[in-house]
Amino acid sequence: MGKRVGIVGVPPLAVIAQLNREGAEIFDLDEPQVRAPIDQSALWVPKVYCAILRTVVLNCMLLPLDRIYIDVGPGKCDAALYIASVLEGMLPIPIHRTRNEDRVAFGHPLCTTAMPLVERFAAITKTVQSAGPHTPREICTPLCGFWGVPPRDFDLLAVFPNETHVFGWTRCMENKTPADLELECRFDPTLPTVFFTQSFCAKAALAQHLGRKHPQALVIDCDVSPSNSARAKIEAFLELSGVPTNTTTPF
Amino acid sequence: MLLADFGTTYCKLLDTLQDTHPRIIPSRDLEPSFQADLATGHNAARRSRRSINELSALARGGRSLIGSDSFVLLDCGSRDLKFVRFAGGKVADMGWNAECGASMGFTIELLASYYRLDYAAMEVPKSGFSVTCGVLGMSHIFDAVVQGSTEEEAVARFVRGIALNAHRFAGAPEELYLSGGLCANPLFVASLPCTVHLLGRFVLLEGLRQLQEKGI
Repeated sequence: MGKRVGIVGVPPLAVIAQLNREGAEIFDLDEPQVRAPIDQSALWVPKVYCAILRTVVLNCMLLPLDRIYIDVGPGKCDAALYIASVLEGMLPIPIHRTRNEDRVAFGHPLCTTAMPLVERFAAITKTVQSAGPHTPREICTPLCGFWGVPPRDFDLLAVFPNETHVFGWTRCMENKTPADLELECRFDPTLPTVFFTQSFCAKAALAQHLGRKHPQALVIDCDVSPSNSARAKIEAFLELSGVPTNTTTPF
Repeated sequence: MLLADFGTTYCKLLDTLQDTHPRIIPSRDLEPSFQADLATGHNAARRSRRSINELSALARGGRSLIGSDSFVLLDCGSRDLKFVRFAGGKVADMGWNAECGASMGFTIELLASYYRLDYAAMEVPKSGFSVTCGVLGMSHIFDAVVQGSTEEEAVARFVRGIALNAHRFAGAPEELYLSGGLCANPLFVASLPCTVHLLGRFVLLEGLRQLQEKGI
């Protein structure tokens, strides 16, 4: 039976290829893997902190794992560097720090195809666990854009139409070049675009900077789950930009 | 058709077949079974057959009432702040501050009632408190009174602080269209550091009317 291995961020391709060869069971610790209140993580990290990294800590508190690879390079964030130290203090298992600066572009077919955005993000985050090439997909004519990281709570994505093109770090993630700042900074100025970051994330400065350059942008941040006002902001922005939305927020 | 803007403390109603002007009633006086046909506001989902979100209603109402395709419209209600910015006829930015800007309008009304103040008779103070929400801001008032300010001076600084915060939240424009209950507060309006055009309390209702007329 393969080992149970946790990953944080996008570890280098060589690490993923090795885990695939070993037949390891990979757990993406950036996503909720256990059902427990996130406030339990306050035992190890402050409550006012990136919800994704709080999720990492919560997963590590409750999930039996054999080892963890945590990317602490420019492809993840400074805060992950500190969380790596926290995990070393918490757990008796090996914590391997990686610095993913891979430059081989795998492409980003999921980011530009037509598919419900929640499903699409689940598929994109799943690609991190494989070293194989992506399945080619048809590029759709986009109605709007989403720029940013995969949110802690994918419910935020439900309102977007299927024809949403995805930009930002999510595109870097699918491309397997998470440290590619040039790719992360790309957006389409002809598309109404929501620039999203997690609350308390350093990427908020980049989102605001790019949002100012974009002629039709909504810059938004969310903590653990999107508030009704956050959902309503996105819904109103898309609706007033002439983009059909998938749901209606009861406000 | 009965249109309703279900605000937190006041409801604005317009029966398009019977009313020539909108009516305002305190939310606490609404019958439990009261239902509108088309509504917006915090209680719209449970009190109407169809509801739309407040930012959408605000933007549609503003676009109808303001004779320009580039403007910033800020709505200051009892519970939250909302703004929408149009540039070249397109929505360029928007915000809804329901958490950090919480309860500012309601707190201003409560303070006038408790201290028996008339905002129309109060002068704009030289400086305001640094206020991010109504509840936390009240501590500044109590501290200032303890340090020798009159209650009127302290509340005026609180109101000015809220006005500055609201202006920054809307992107600090030089010209601002203002809607919501705080349009009726002369001290608040005079404390805004920009040119202000008052649109009153019925902009969201106008947004609903636009939707109804266009059959959307």
